[in-house]
Amino acid sequence: MSCSCTTETESLFLPQVAEIIDAKMITATEKHFTLKLQNGERFDYAPGQIVEAGLFGYGEVPLGLASSPTNGTSFDLVVRVLGKVTKALVGLEKGDVMTIRGPLGNGFPVEEFTGKDVLIVAGGIGLCPVRSMIEYILHHRDDFGRFTLFFGAKTPSDLLFEEDLEAWRCESCMHYMDTVDTPDAAWKGNVGVITTLFEKTEEITPDTRVIICGPPIMYKFVIAELDKLGVARSNIYVDLERRMKCGVGKCGHCQINDKYVCMDGPVFRYSDIQTLEEAI
Amino acid sequence: MKSYFLSDQNLSAFVEGLMSKYPVIAPVAKRSRFVFEKLVDASELRLDYDTTILPPKKVFFPAKQDLIHFDQHGFTCCIDPTEQVLLGAHPHDIKGIAMSDIFYSDRHCDNNYMANRKATTIIGSSVQNHYKHAFFGTMNAERPLTGHDLFMTAIEGGFAVDVVTERGEALLPLGTFEPATEAQVAAAVEVNRKAEEDCPEKLNGTAEEIREKVRTSFKSPVWEAFAEKCFSCGSCNIVCCTCYCFDVQDEWNVDGVSGSRFRLWDACLTREFSEVTSPGGSENFREERGERYRHRFMRKAAYLNEQLGGPACTGCGRCSGACTANIANPTTVINKLLEQ
Repeated sequence: MSCSCTTETESLFLPQVAEIIDAKMITATEKHFTLKLQNGERFDYAPGQIVEAGLFGYGEVPLGLASSPTNGTSFDLVVRVLGKVTKALVGLEKGDVMTIRGPLGNGFPVEEFTGKDVLIVAGGIGLCPVRSMIEYILHHRDDFGRFTLFFGAKTPSDLLFEEDLEAWRCESCMHYMDTVDTPDAAWKGNVGVITTLFEKTEEITPDTRVIICGPPIMYKFVIAELDKLGVARSNIYVDLERRMKCGVGKCGHCQINDKYVCMDGPVFRYSDIQTLEEAI
Repeated sequence: MKSYFLSDQNLSAFVEGLMSKYPVIAPVAKRSRFVFEKLVDASELRLDYDTTILPPKKVFFPAKQDLIHFDQHGFTCCIDPTEQVLLGAHPHDIKGIAMSDIFYSDRHCDNNYMANRKATTIIGSSVQNHYKHAFFGTMNAERPLTGHDLFMTAIEGGFAVDVVTERGEALLPLGTFEPATEAQVAAAVEVNRKAEEDCPEKLNGTAEEIREKVRTSFKSPVWEAFAEKCFSCGSCNIVCCTCYCFDVQDEWNVDGVSGSRFRLWDACLTREFSEVTSPGGSENFREERGERYRHRFMRKAAYLNEQLGGPACTGCGRCSGACTANIANPTTVINKLLEQ
């Protein structure tokens, strides 16, 4: 595929083409893609940034980058089958191409986390965008203090990135804890909503920097736990999701009051948006 | 500023001159109302129009605009502007265009809009008849009128024509103009002043007062009280000079191998606008009509007011006229909030 555009009339909607170098279903509804730009250039981005991933004839969807930019030239995306576009994307296999626009938005302010204890709280598919930060921290492990990851899923079969989870469980330089809402017969781990993990660790100090990403309902309950622990709301970062159509602050779909998730987010300092009614 | 006089007798020849070189988009009659449309014959021009059903934003940002064409070999972007003339835009509509220019060029320049905008020469014209809902005399009246190239004010015997830009001046050889007299220039100033004064509806409050009052009224029961009657149809959005939200969709051609990605005007008053898909259904961040209704007013009167230094409203009154439930009139809503 090629494009005939010149820079003077370059459209914000013009994507790049990315080749799928690996693709595998990681749950019944989620597919993990590893991609490379077809033009051979490195796709440069910050942990927490998003892209509009698309397939012509179907459309585009906003997705958080699911790998750290320190991973080399490839990058990861995870697509959950939800609608027309995601259904089409999940049909793609190794060797196929999809289109990418981005990186878009603001990622995690890594400098604010440097030298600090870090807690990441991820619910369900919310693990995908924060995986960019998890990998980043593991690649720069000495730059951060204690690192704790909470992951909650509905059932054991909804746990994403099985290989990662195995590695993280054994990792001595991080404390990984997970829980499921509904266990199956084989499950021997924690059962309960993600906030129950707070009772099971003493590691979260008031000076911890926290990242939260998950279903809308999860945020306020996690924040209530953090309030109890005395974590300042200015040290909490929330990664929000909206159905962004343009990703460049024009189409209006992702507006939360006067903020654009695509431009001012998707990562927000919680104290900056805590009074916005439509945020979470 | 140079000013000329164009007599009534010479108007048609000037319009024909424009039409000989460019497509000319101008107000023409459509049943009982008016629309901006490409002139086929100079006699169709109706500079005595009160308002048009849709604002002139459609000239740069059509209701459906192709963004990308694709086929099995690749894809191309669809920026392909045509040099054209927009004739007869009222001053408040010109202000609306200037606001849209800011929205589309801020932070990321949207060339799909800007290319059409840059390719369009704008000839404004004075308001000869008022739309019954207009309140431009008290909405952004102090805002400088910019973005156009020529401005024609209807005065006795013809038009006083102000030259605003060189691009506008370059059109003058297409007609027969004579230098305007001081009296004609003064008459034009008075016509435009009177047009503002004679607006049938009035808004109270300065830009700052409106911004502060609306912003602090976030939890006011006013929104729900009005929105109770809202059909969530989005007509207020569609006819608005400064609404610029859109949806992006893909479509296959009949051949099944090629197609287009395009944008469509979208409306934040509709339920779907703020909806996100979730497993087994959807979630909506502005589920209630009152929330959506408030969002539009907040955006115009508070959020964009900060960016523009005045509300993102031109006082054209189209929303008031388009609203089936009769709840969209900004003067009613904002004046009520200002009273509280």
